[in-house]
Amino acid sequence: MGKVKNKKRVSVDAIQKKRQNQNAKKQLNPFEVHINKEKMRVLGKKVKNEMGLPGISRAKAIKKRKHTLLNEYKLQHKSNKFMDKRIAERDNVPYEDKIMARFAAVRAKAHSKKMIFNLAEDEVLTHRGQTLNEIEKFDDPRSDNEDSDEEHKSGNLLSTFVKDAHFGGGSSGKEVKTHKQLMDQLIEESKKRKAEKQKIKEATVELTDKLDTEWKDLVQLVSKTNKKETNEEKPNLDDYDKVMRELKFEARGTVSDRLKSEPEIAKEEKEKLEKLEQERLERMRGFAENNPQKITHRSADDLDDNFVYESDTEENMLTYGDDGKSNVEVRAELNGKTIGGNSDIEDENNDTNTDDDSSQNDSEEEDPLLDLKEDDTSSEEDDVETEKSTNSNKDIGIKITSKEVDSAEDDYKTDETSTEVNKSSQKRKLEDIVECNKPKQPKNEENIEDKNELEKLELPFVFSLPEDYDSLMETLQNQSIICQKVILERMIKCNHPTLSQGNKAGLGLLFDYMLRYINDLFANSEDSKTFKKNCKLLSTIIPHIFELAQLNKENAHNSFVEVIKELHQEYRKKKKQYPGIEILIFLKMVSLFFSTSDFRHQVVTPCFVFMEEMLKHCSVKSVKDLCCGLFLCTLVAEFTALSKRFLPATINFLAGIFCMAIPKNDVKPIKVPLTFKSLSKDLVLTSDYSKKKIETKFDISNLFEEEFTDELKVDIMLLALRLLSDFKENCKELPSKSELFTEADKYLKLVPMKNYPKVVQEDYRKLFSDTLSEISYLRWEAKKPKSLRLYEPKIVEVYDGKRRKIQSREKTERDKLLHKLKKETKGAVREIRKDKAFLGRIKINQKIRSDKERRDRVNKIVAEAANQQSELNAFDRQKKKKK
Amino acid sequence: MSLPAEKSSKISKILRSKAQEFLLNVREKANILEQILQHFYSGADTGPCLLALDMIFSNLFKDRKMYLEIVPLKAVEKTPENESRKWLMGNFENCYLRIVQCMEHDNPKVTIQALSTAMNLLAMEGKYPMERAGATTENFVPANKLKSILMKLLTSKQNNINLINKYTEYLLYDDILFVTWKLLPSLTAKSNPNQVYIMNYLMLLEKLQVFANLDTKYLCAGEYSIPITFDEVLTKKYLNRVWQCIMVWEHSVQTHKQLLIVLLEKVLVHLDKPLLLTDFLMDSLDIGGPVSYLALQGLFTMIQVHNLDYPNIFAKLYSMFEPEIFHTKYKARLFHLADLFLSSTHLPETMVAAFAKRLARLALLAPSVDIIIICQFIGNLIIRHPGLKCLLHNETSELVKYDPYVMEESDPLKSNALNSSLWEIYTLQSHVQPSVASAAKFINTPLPSVEWDIGKVLENTDNDIFDKEIKKISKAIVRELEPTKDGLVISTGERVCQYWQLV
Repeated sequence: MGKVKNKKRVSVDAIQKKRQNQNAKKQLNPFEVHINKEKMRVLGKKVKNEMGLPGISRAKAIKKRKHTLLNEYKLQHKSNKFMDKRIAERDNVPYEDKIMARFAAVRAKAHSKKMIFNLAEDEVLTHRGQTLNEIEKFDDPRSDNEDSDEEHKSGNLLSTFVKDAHFGGGSSGKEVKTHKQLMDQLIEESKKRKAEKQKIKEATVELTDKLDTEWKDLVQLVSKTNKKETNEEKPNLDDYDKVMRELKFEARGTVSDRLKSEPEIAKEEKEKLEKLEQERLERMRGFAENNPQKITHRSADDLDDNFVYESDTEENMLTYGDDGKSNVEVRAELNGKTIGGNSDIEDENNDTNTDDDSSQNDSEEEDPLLDLKEDDTSSEEDDVETEKSTNSNKDIGIKITSKEVDSAEDDYKTDETSTEVNKSSQKRKLEDIVECNKPKQPKNEENIEDKNELEKLELPFVFSLPEDYDSLMETLQNQSIICQKVILERMIKCNHPTLSQGNKAGLGLLFDYMLRYINDLFANSEDSKTFKKNCKLLSTIIPHIFELAQLNKENAHNSFVEVIKELHQEYRKKKKQYPGIEILIFLKMVSLFFSTSDFRHQVVTPCFVFMEEMLKHCSVKSVKDLCCGLFLCTLVAEFTALSKRFLPATINFLAGIFCMAIPKNDVKPIKVPLTFKSLSKDLVLTSDYSKKKIETKFDISNLFEEEFTDELKVDIMLLALRLLSDFKENCKELPSKSELFTEADKYLKLVPMKNYPKVVQEDYRKLFSDTLSEISYLRWEAKKPKSLRLYEPKIVEVYDGKRRKIQSREKTERDKLLHKLKKETKGAVREIRKDKAFLGRIKINQKIRSDKERRDRVNKIVAEAANQQSELNAFDRQKKKKK
Repeated sequence: MSLPAEKSSKISKILRSKAQEFLLNVREKANILEQILQHFYSGADTGPCLLALDMIFSNLFKDRKMYLEIVPLKAVEKTPENESRKWLMGNFENCYLRIVQCMEHDNPKVTIQALSTAMNLLAMEGKYPMERAGATTENFVPANKLKSILMKLLTSKQNNINLINKYTEYLLYDDILFVTWKLLPSLTAKSNPNQVYIMNYLMLLEKLQVFANLDTKYLCAGEYSIPITFDEVLTKKYLNRVWQCIMVWEHSVQTHKQLLIVLLEKVLVHLDKPLLLTDFLMDSLDIGGPVSYLALQGLFTMIQVHNLDYPNIFAKLYSMFEPEIFHTKYKARLFHLADLFLSSTHLPETMVAAFAKRLARLALLAPSVDIIIICQFIGNLIIRHPGLKCLLHNETSELVKYDPYVMEESDPLKSNALNSSLWEIYTLQSHVQPSVASAAKFINTPLPSVEWDIGKVLENTDNDIFDKEIKKISKAIVRELEPTKDGLVISTGERVCQYWQLV
């Protein structure tokens, strides 16, 4: 610890010193500073090179060159080189990093090619001779003891021994032991100590083990007493605690799936429905009309970029039209009712509807507390039922009431009493809608009966999917309607696609078989009784067939196409003859399953073609043919109820029916449509039928009638009139609606109405009541004028006074690089020049030095030579002298 | 009798074996032939008998067993061989008459078999004639035998359409064709024949060709005989002679139609004085219905080729566009003709507009196939006459109470069509069939510069539309199930359960 402290202090000192140095450096020698002169000072401009230190920088440069260029120069023309290849030796790195680098290199070496896949033989890390794994097991619970061992292990010898060995050698006077003896003694003693320690250790281990076993026996006793205590305590628990604990352990929902409140669910439902409706409308309009949505308002600043201000479309400006009404509907509340546009009332109805539905849903939930409520609702329903029965003409009633509502709306403000009417009518309408939209609520009695029947029959609960059509027939035949329904339901449930892989295909097959089953059922129904029974069967099982279709949409769709293809092939053989009844049922199912309002639909469109062909080609020879045709017309009316389109063949067919009802005399011949030639007079009503009451619905059993009775004639006329009014309603918006129906109207006007019942006469009158509306000439849509191209103002993000060339990004980049290159070359040239100067200097110095050396040497040699000469001369002189 | 097919096959096997036996030894087994002939005359198993006889006689012809060398001015020697030959020939003549009579059999198969047997034997006789009259070896067609066949074909008892169709196979041989032409004037009835005869006659005439066939073939040509020269001048002469007779006959509507078809397709080109037909065609034009369409075509050729000037032809054409046209077979022809008539760009716009309006009116209640045709037709009219654009694009912003166009007016120039607008086409955009609705959309945008090819759509049928719609692959949308009271009621737009008491 102390060492570390020291280190710290040192480092602090160093830092201080460094700082001082830096301060010293900053105090520049004014003689070394060179200030760059500036011609014009610009405020706020940062200048990089205000002043320079030419002397210092030159010295730096020279020093650098000495390290690099000079070395190179020296090594020039030399092939051998000295290289220090020790790791991290050449770079200037601190010692620790050097060590680390070397260690890493060793490790890397271990990962040589051979070792890469040798995963098992990893390097074993050890700590004090034990592998880390062993240590981590913590086998030894008595690791505490090691602390005490430490002092021995640290090498501390006994004090007596030390005393003797270290200091008692010289003066104590004891007999002197040799070094070897001493060492032996030391070893002996240490061994002895070790043995002793081992002994003590074993003893303690034994003791702890014993303690453990005894403790285990004791624990049982202790825990028993504890349990008893808690048992006694439990009843004392507070309710509060209970609840608290319950709350504590209750599954908590995450924040994301918060339970939705009822209005939210309703809203979601509504949005979903709205979305579906939106999609349906798009499909109805067809692909051909995919021009972009029109912008209702074009601003003067519109730039033709299809950009729309949201506020423009959503919020209309409040303006007043010619009649003084504002274009924004003003709502007001009066006695808790809103007055305003009709749409409001519709909304309200919808709202109440949904409310109603939700309340029903509530009641359906199995909550014992709500039993009472359920009773209430059922009694309410009974009321509704009775009201319905009083309202004999309910089906037509919807329209009438809606009209009443409209008319009542207008008078609302002026007449107080009319509000009452309004209220009642609205209520009625509401109930109607409720009645229509009510989900299937099985009546209790019927339910009980069904249950009884089911119990009696004891149907098995698990049904496997039928392997072929015959096996399905076997299971379904001779079963009551309810049983068939249950069988089908269970088949679907037992083989749901989520349960197994092959189930989806199997259910698809089941769907095919069901279609065939239904087809066969109706093809074989010879009389009205079986037919009606089959109808009932179909209406009960259809939800399940529907479920099948939903489970495998692709398959349902394909099999429908196949069936219609087959039926059409069959029909092609006899084009002049109406095919069997099964086709009517099949087409009805198409309207149930698919959205018939689409502009083009792979199932529905061929059906339309088929129906048109039948209505056009098949000749009407019997009651059955006529009813078939009428059914087809009804189907077309149903198919087109939403899309408001028309099929001319139906209008022609109805015209033919009216033509049949005209009493013919030979004086004024009437052209009868070709297909109706054989029965041209059969619908003429001869007896007076005006006082009698008739059924509002056309009985399907008439299909099996042989002759045209008067009642049947009246029924046919009523149905035909209704269909005609439906078609007229569909074509209301079309410009040539009157031309479309001229033919039919012409015939209809010739039909004497006085023999028909009042209902028929009323319908008849209504058909001719509507007035002609004006039509405007056709016109191509005005072309959008092309606006002039506007140039955008030049906006510079940051204006810094510099004019930059407007050019592409690549070009600026290139220019920048070119500039940089120029600068760099300049710098490089200067560097090279300086290098050259540096080298030149060195060379001249060398040259000077070597010259000097040579001169010195020459001088020395000359001197030596002179010396020698002088000596020689002296010797010669001596010789001469001697001579 | 339980298995007639098996039985007949058995009989034919027996007959064949017998015939082979007879052919091996003609002279000694003569009774076999007699047996077969008797069986044939009795009227039972006509089909197998015909086959057997066919085999017997054609082999006899081939083996020259029925060949008499006739040396001029010399009686035939009475050798037993010659006797037997004579006997065979006598039998053959009788038998041939019976075979031809079989063409009136009740069973159509037998009649066709009879015809082919008769023609086959005829060919064999032509190739290997029974008597050699002299050294001349010109292609010999037994004319009297062919005449008897033709008489049966042109019977007034029954409609022989099948036989005549079969006979056309033989008309591919130039010799038969030429001889038929040669015989035809003598077979033509001079006074009023009955309708069946006329029908058969016209049908045969329709099949006959004035020119020689492209690849020359001869049915009755022997190995050494010189082929008949096919003389077109002669055939034309025969045709004119025949036609004069035909025009005198009284015609019912059916035969009238057939007559016109034959006239238009075969005869008109080859007549010497076609202008003589003008009256006939004009009368036909007034009859109405399909006859008029056909007559119109005749008139068109007359006007085009022979420079006929027909007053007020357009009014006639205009009046032909009635709702009934959609039920006739010849509407394609009518549209084609109308397209031709109105192809001139020099017609008054008022009139063309009237045509367009009238067609549009008809289209309102027409079958979908025809609506598509009419839409393209009208489009073409407007492309041809740019002045008609006012029918699609009217600048005036005024409203009208009703369509100014008068449908009842018979004169197209007075129908006030130019002041109208093609609302009908706009209405048709709401037709349930997508193909029709899309076809009617042409009025929404300025028209293309190139006309539509009507020929493509003229032959379309309902079946084609059906198949096309089936083939179109689009995403099928299954409805979301909505809770309903009754399983069969849909939530919006339910009509069936509203009007019908199903349960």
